[in-house]
Amino acid sequence: MGVTIHVPREFTKTEVTQAMEAPGKTTGRTSGSWVHDLCALRKVITLCSFCQPKFNPGRLGYAKEKEFPIVQAKCDGCYTFDPRCAAYFWSETYHDVRSTAAERRATRTAQIKAMAKLK
Amino acid sequence: MQFEYLLGGGAPTIKKYKMAAGHASGIAVLVAAAGATGLSTSTTTSWADFVGVTLDAILASAIPVAYSTVQGAVEYLQSVVINPDAVYRALMVGSAAGAVVEERTVGTASSNGLTIVGTAGDTDPSSPDMDEGTAWYVSGQGGASRKITSTTTTLTVTVVMPFAANTIGNKYHTIGYTVGTKGLTMSTDLKNVRVDLAATGAAARCVDMELNGKGNSYLHVLAADGVFSGSALA
Repeated sequence: MGVTIHVPREFTKTEVTQAMEAPGKTTGRTSGSWVHDLCALRKVITLCSFCQPKFNPGRLGYAKEKEFPIVQAKCDGCYTFDPRCAAYFWSETYHDVRSTAAERRATRTAQIKAMAKLK
Repeated sequence: MQFEYLLGGGAPTIKKYKMAAGHASGIAVLVAAAGATGLSTSTTTSWADFVGVTLDAILASAIPVAYSTVQGAVEYLQSVVINPDAVYRALMVGSAAGAVVEERTVGTASSNGLTIVGTAGDTDPSSPDMDEGTAWYVSGQGGASRKITSTTTTLTVTVVMPFAANTIGNKYHTIGYTVGTKGLTMSTDLKNVRVDLAATGAAARCVDMELNGKGNSYLHVLAADGVFSGSALA
């Protein structure tokens, strides 16, 4: 009988990290149920162009990311990697993780006015 | 921290990862530590094997919950932006708890604009050392900023490219960062960068600065030890 030699393989940090990626919805669940569960947990929702029309972000307190209209991600609806997804953030935590050009401009304008007063 | 932009332009890549603990939104997460069940949290001084920054928090029924390893409990996932050239915008703070940045006051006027001398009671700019960082005025100079070329224990910072003459009472800030500076110390909540300390700590470089006032100035930082950057693939 032949001898099987097991040679252990060292995984790279990149491979370990890729293995940590969430597997998505389990079989038997509908996509809508899965996405609504993610929304209840305030997760960022990424949807491909086919799934976007089925999602009503405003009704769930979500807003579409506008500065980056396209993100590369797995669609939370059909769980397919799509380089042209859209991202939806829960509105109340959006400013923890993103800023907009309008906000940065307003901050700078306010600072310029404050400095002018101190002259 | 806020995800701000990509150095190369284009679209961010967002992935949902399993986490080893319940992380806040807007903090750096690292490669899973040995034996951990998911991505690990960063520390105030370490971004070694950086994966990305979280874009959402762990929540259940709108209430923050602890990470659970109970069988049948919800598996906790968080979205992470993983581009290795992602630039993050971190608020400058003056303490571990997130106090505002120290506002210094000119105590001795400088007519040639090459030195800025503080007032007794200001923190010594040579300890923690702000040398090779940036000084900028918030009054009297129209917000002008310069790179610091030396500091002394006599509350003096020196620049080579002169400011206009300053006057006693002008307000200014000094930080240990300029474009390209490496090393961050984060606040306790891991979201803001401490500029009351010299530039040291987590592996990240300063890409740009938004020099406003004591409570609304930001550093733009790029992780320098990213697991997907190609420099630390082993």
